Amino acid sequence: MSGSGEFAEFLPAYLAEVDELLASAQRDLLAVEDAVRKGQAQPRAVRELFRALHTLKGLSAMVDVEPIVSVAHWMEASLRLADQAGGRLPESSVEPLVEGLRAIELRVRQLGAGKTASPAPTALLERLEALGPQVLDAAPKRARPVKLDAEAAFASRLAPSEREQLEGGLTAGQRALRLDFVPSSERAAKGLNINTVRERVAKLADIVKVLPLSGAAAGGASLAFALLLITRAEDAALLDAVGGPPAMVRSLEAPEGAAEAPGDLAPAPPDGAALPAGAVLDEELDEPEVRRGGGLLRVEVSRLDEAMEWLAALVVNRSRLTRAVAALTQAGAPTRELTAILQENGRQLRDLRSAILRLRMVRVGDVLERLPLLVRGLRRATGKAVRLELEVGDAELDKAVADRLLPALVHLVRNAVDHALETPEERQAAGKSPEGLVHLSCHARASGQLELTLRDDGRGVDAKAVAKAANAPVPDSADALLDLLCRPGLSTRQEATRTSGRGMGMDIVRRIVVEQLGGELRMETRKGAGTTFTLSVPLTVTLMDAIVFECAGRRYAVAVGTVEELIDVAGVVRPAGADGLGLVERRGAAVPLVSLARLLDAGSSGDASAKGGGAKALIVRQRGDPVAFAVDRLLGQQEIVLRPLEDPLVRVPGVAGATDLGDGQPTLVLDLAALGAARMGRRKRASRAGEWVS
Amino acid sequence: MPEVLVVDDSKVMREMVVACLRPYPDSRFTQASSGLEAIEQLSLKPYDLLVLDLNMPDIGGIEVVEFVRGQDHLRNLPIIIVTTRGDEASRERALQAGADRFMTKPFTPDSIQGAARALLEKSSAEASRG
Repeated sequence: MSGSGEFAEFLPAYLAEVDELLASAQRDLLAVEDAVRKGQAQPRAVRELFRALHTLKGLSAMVDVEPIVSVAHWMEASLRLADQAGGRLPESSVEPLVEGLRAIELRVRQLGAGKTASPAPTALLERLEALGPQVLDAAPKRARPVKLDAEAAFASRLAPSEREQLEGGLTAGQRALRLDFVPSSERAAKGLNINTVRERVAKLADIVKVLPLSGAAAGGASLAFALLLITRAEDAALLDAVGGPPAMVRSLEAPEGAAEAPGDLAPAPPDGAALPAGAVLDEELDEPEVRRGGGLLRVEVSRLDEAMEWLAALVVNRSRLTRAVAALTQAGAPTRELTAILQENGRQLRDLRSAILRLRMVRVGDVLERLPLLVRGLRRATGKAVRLELEVGDAELDKAVADRLLPALVHLVRNAVDHALETPEERQAAGKSPEGLVHLSCHARASGQLELTLRDDGRGVDAKAVAKAANAPVPDSADALLDLLCRPGLSTRQEATRTSGRGMGMDIVRRIVVEQLGGELRMETRKGAGTTFTLSVPLTVTLMDAIVFECAGRRYAVAVGTVEELIDVAGVVRPAGADGLGLVERRGAAVPLVSLARLLDAGSSGDASAKGGGAKALIVRQRGDPVAFAVDRLLGQQEIVLRPLEDPLVRVPGVAGATDLGDGQPTLVLDLAALGAARMGRRKRASRAGEWVS
Repeated sequence: MPEVLVVDDSKVMREMVVACLRPYPDSRFTQASSGLEAIEQLSLKPYDLLVLDLNMPDIGGIEVVEFVRGQDHLRNLPIIIVTTRGDEASRERALQAGADRFMTKPFTPDSIQGAARALLEKSSAEASRG
């Protein structure tokens, strides 16, 4: 079963958190693999990986997703042993762990799509279960040099892997230090608490362990935290990160020639001179560089959407207010001040809107963190040597754009490795380095667009082969070549490859970038030197729930929020006549009925009412009064990405924009109230849609 | 009005625990996302119940229990430990360190509510006697 039981309502929050756990687990597993290959231990990544799976298992148990519980359980069990063995894993364990993560990810996606998680594959569970003994065999029988001052390092309170980590830092020429932080209500009120301190110190040092101390060990304070670190940072910077005195830094390195003190030692009272007991120095904390708790907050996207909806309601209300003021002005009332306030109000709404949109922004770097794992898998599947370079900086983009863009990038990266890059032998024969390069960079443009460039140094696109496969003349420009590549179903491959399948799928990439996101896709290619794809996508898009319907043989969409009711037009009082107007009964009252087909066809002289009989009607408020728009057929409700029609020539009152319903065809998104008003000559400009979209 | 401190690095898990315990009359909840944050919170304000995850990024639940039991003013703070299958060895250690109850995921709202009620009523009875 999936997500049933007592906690079913937590499923969306569960999915969001599990996504994050998986992302961090993948990062850690890559770090582990890297270390395994170099024959090193990676205690921190192993521990983090273990913890992520442990949390995942517990959460999945709560929401009753047994397949994920079992996979996570066996992964966790072997990682627990590896953690105890100082963070060492045998090379043979990496592949099953990768598969385990993939199996979990697949099931999370199933749940996200409202399906049931499929049962965990028995073969995989067996392989994972068999990891435990392998991990134990790989554990080193260690004999390490004594380097730590056991007393200062609270050796008795450290796990072997933590001691090893500290010693490893010393061996690598770093400093192993103990840094104390004394919490207090005053400090907490200023945003300086153990969580923010950890964040700040983590920027300067590897935190191996944090120990709470009380009594004498805390130097007179009721509570102190000792942070055990490996770092190259200066004492002053570290002290500053914990908010200054009372705090101290102390080396954990044993004095030259000192033997390791025997095991069980009580924490020693710290050096009194270095730890002045007493009040917090307020002037220190008032310094500007003491940042407020810059914590992160996780918010469900649906809550942001909700805020956006409220804002939309505000905008609609403002339009009404504007009209009311305009009416007052016309009637000769003194409205100068009112108009000024309205203008101010408009600016504030725009600011609020961009503030909410900013909340939806995610770091591009976070979006792309799956790519290294993808390339890793491709490396194994194709046997090619590939280096992935990511140059993403701090750019951010809207979550909705990111979610749509990622599949397109995955596609392009896969194509690059699978088709564009040559085998190491071919590359060497061509005088290239055996290792192929895939380079992805991105930066935000001032125009509100994000530009991503994906470059490979592979063989380049063979225009002749593409032309032959497409049965078309050889294209004479890069654009024409890209057009050919984007033909549905085109493939220059004789056989399907295991990773990319047969089709290049460039048509899908183009559809996502151009049709769905309203962006641009360009390509440059040079035979033997490589191919570069450039994607420009808007940083944000407008998402809305829409009712999709058919009218006079075409499909249209309209925002759900603008439609008051859907009715059958059975109760027609007076059918639409030649003027396209009629009356329909709704709960005993007559409502004007407009033939949408007629309205849309107003320019031509054809008999529209004959075309669109109008079995259903959408009721929309137009200047406060209900109006029914007759349509032929309702097709359903779905979330759409609204693409505003940027071109002023195309911009029409009553058309809010266009969207792709998934069929690659542009579908117009109507604003019925504005359309009716504009076409029936009551009002010149669309107020609502125009304002919202611009 | 019982003050409850719920400690787990998973936000969903904390919210589930709060949802389970909310029906207990007038309880107030504070959430902490790490063992260290929990210890910090406990030093800043008195609590009537501590619900603690065993496995956390900085210091684990056991270390929190050990620390708490070493503090005079926290010696009698009721502690419920939330564990996951596979934590059996740690359970033993947590028990020795002085935890009062265990809840193993998946647990039901009723079971954790029952545990909380029993502990809170016991400590309020002790308080009125003492």
